Amino acid sequence: MSDVALLLQAAADTSHAYGEFPVIGARAFVWITAEVHLMFAAFVLGVPMFAVVTEAIGIFGGDERYDRLSKEFTRLLLVAYSATAIWGAMLVFGLSTLYPRFWAYLTAIFAPSMWVYAALFFIESFTLYLYYYGWDRWKKGRAKVGHWTLGILLNVWGTVVMFIANSWLTYMMSPPRDITPTTDPTTIKLWHAIANATWMPINVHRVIANVVFGGAIVGAYASYRFLAARTDEERAHYDWMGYVGNFIAMSALIVLPFAGYWLGREIYQYDQSMGITMMGGFMSWLWVIQAFLIAVLFLTGNYYLWIGMGRIPGAERFRPYTKWLLVVLVLGAIVWGTPHTMIADSKELAAMGGSHHPLLGALGVMSAKNTAVNLMILTTFLSFLLYRRANTRPVVPWARTGTIIQAGMFAIAAGIVLFYGIRGYFVEAIVRIGFSVYQVLAVLACIVGVTVIDILMARGAQSLGAIRWGKMPPRSQYALFILAVTFTWLMGLMGFARSGIRQYWHVWQVMQDTSKYAATPALGYASKMISLCVLIFLCLVAFVFWIGGLAEKSTFVAPGAGDGGVGKARDVGH
Amino acid sequence: MWVTNLKIVGVVLGTLAVYTLIANEIPQVQSEVPQTLTLGSNVTPEQLVAAGEKVFNGIGGCTTCHGLGTRAPNLLSDEKGTGPIGVRCGKREPGKSCKDYLFESLDNPTAYVVPGYQPIMPVMTKQLSPEQVWAVIAFLESQGGTVDVTGDDIAKSKPATPGGSSAGGGSFAGSSTDPKAIIQAAGCLACHKLDGQGQVIAPDLTHVGSRRTAESIRRKILDPTSSIAKGYEKLAGIMPKTFGTMMNAAQLEALVQYLAAHK
Repeated sequence: MSDVALLLQAAADTSHAYGEFPVIGARAFVWITAEVHLMFAAFVLGVPMFAVVTEAIGIFGGDERYDRLSKEFTRLLLVAYSATAIWGAMLVFGLSTLYPRFWAYLTAIFAPSMWVYAALFFIESFTLYLYYYGWDRWKKGRAKVGHWTLGILLNVWGTVVMFIANSWLTYMMSPPRDITPTTDPTTIKLWHAIANATWMPINVHRVIANVVFGGAIVGAYASYRFLAARTDEERAHYDWMGYVGNFIAMSALIVLPFAGYWLGREIYQYDQSMGITMMGGFMSWLWVIQAFLIAVLFLTGNYYLWIGMGRIPGAERFRPYTKWLLVVLVLGAIVWGTPHTMIADSKELAAMGGSHHPLLGALGVMSAKNTAVNLMILTTFLSFLLYRRANTRPVVPWARTGTIIQAGMFAIAAGIVLFYGIRGYFVEAIVRIGFSVYQVLAVLACIVGVTVIDILMARGAQSLGAIRWGKMPPRSQYALFILAVTFTWLMGLMGFARSGIRQYWHVWQVMQDTSKYAATPALGYASKMISLCVLIFLCLVAFVFWIGGLAEKSTFVAPGAGDGGVGKARDVGH
Repeated sequence: MWVTNLKIVGVVLGTLAVYTLIANEIPQVQSEVPQTLTLGSNVTPEQLVAAGEKVFNGIGGCTTCHGLGTRAPNLLSDEKGTGPIGVRCGKREPGKSCKDYLFESLDNPTAYVVPGYQPIMPVMTKQLSPEQVWAVIAFLESQGGTVDVTGDDIAKSKPATPGGSSAGGGSFAGSSTDPKAIIQAAGCLACHKLDGQGQVIAPDLTHVGSRRTAESIRRKILDPTSSIAKGYEKLAGIMPKTFGTMMNAAQLEALVQYLAAHK
């Protein structure tokens, strides 16, 4: 945009374009309300997915423990829904009073969808009330299946609500190209604005991320209850619940990067300069922080599993391998976190002796990073596999062959990942980008293939003893807390990245931000805001958990109770 | 239980503190809003260099490609043994001074493309004001060379820059009707490929005459959204709508006929 156009737009801004919020300022207020609202929204979307799956396992597997676990999750949702709505209302008040011109623009386009959003939120809330308060009434037979259907509906409403809200924010990022600063917003067709370039990638990314987030928060809840438990039985129950939460969070986390790639690709296709700003421009350092956070997630998640193997008879066989798994994870994290495409000034370039570090430069490129992260995913999957097999010995006649085939699949997948990683150094960038698809497919094929073989091999397997649920050192539970805090912080960081790449635009290249907060802050300031949001969210979640605890005592059932007892319960995570 | 609660609070706060600390320890880069740069006729080389460094690292977006060693040549550090840009700029094109070469790179970046790189650089004189352009040139000259940019350079280039001319309806490439010069000045090859040169982001124009009539090409240039080539629907709207006001009628006609002849 030329200076003339900038001046014209600035002149068009009236004095009523922006409001001011005392002490912290308008931007900080909207940032906090939007972020905390989003965190609660992710919680109330992720946990119902969790609840409906565990209820199904309870219904169709005949284990009442899962049904009670599902109810315990749902109880947490009641208060969390109110918190989501309160923070959402604060966000709307903030936008309409502090950014009235921008808000008027958005409502001119999206008003009909906003009414649908409100109606669906209403329906969703009442579905939740029916779901929770009808739990004990619709407990048997067809009524129970009907109750489970309510849980599915709860997820459907929630997902549609999220998709609608996503359309507003993705429009801000990637408005259709035929819309210009002079386009009258009332003439823009609603579906045209909704179905913008980044809408569906964000939808998919957020659905998966909500599962990760829900699992992590449930894991943190369970770890707190574990540490506060007064009896061995209660401790065993929450140990198991924490394991399930961590398992689901880590499993979904493995898929999340693929959704992220898709989103990144769409951003590049929509506007290459936006993509370059994101990956190689002023936001380039953000990805080093992201790599560090994901390394923490991988290391902590694996650490929790390895400690958990201490309570599984027969796991001693696999203990010698864990140090090698740790070596791969640490090396992978180091490579992934190596800076490369960074904005640097002349002094920094001179200090570095060139555009890249002479030794580490080669490790900072995508070939090395994709290789590292794929090997980290394979390693984490191997950790799960060892955990799963720890207290069993397969008895099928082809067990040895099956194990060899599984090992072969790992070797082939790792080989493909390494081959394309090295080959990537010798080809053009456009070819290199395509290699990441082969690497990902190799890893996914390995995960699917090995899992299928493992399930078949586990049929009638000899048990080496039951898992001693509850026999976990407290440090394992603190690991779950670190996971929850890290997931939440990562969500805040990625939100900053998504929103920040618009830079000084409310709507990319359509409506400029001419307020005094138009400059996009550096990571240092952003990190303080993210930490503050995470702290507010966690304090409120702790309050929600406490309120939930007041309403009803713990729902744990002593091991051995129900149809399956502990022996059956372990199958969820396995 | 209080001890456990305190430990949990400690773990949470400790984790947040570590992340916040790390994010504050790395280099801090803020994305600034473009500011109008005002430099008088008596501006000093030091002022120009200081202003140019800000543009280079900020609004100019130069660091996004230059300095990575992959997308574009390093400018602030050594480039394949030829030194930083201030040292090598006078030797790039025979008979062209450092200052002229740098201005050409910003005004007509496809005129000379360093071997081994693609002609992907946008026309910066369309994005930056004359003050900003000459400040960047001064800054680049200061990287190992001598700064000879003066306030006169800014004053002289003001009427000729497309940014200035576009406001009142102007022309590319000094009103030249040489279609190749127009294509270079308009930066068409930053997205289109033509006769083996340029990018493949937008449709290849090498045989555009076999797909479109002269009238269709003219309409497409004046109103890029009037028709979208099959397979490029997602890129609809990317082509600037300003070409109609940035070239004169003779230039438009020369360009249209040139492209229509590409059967």
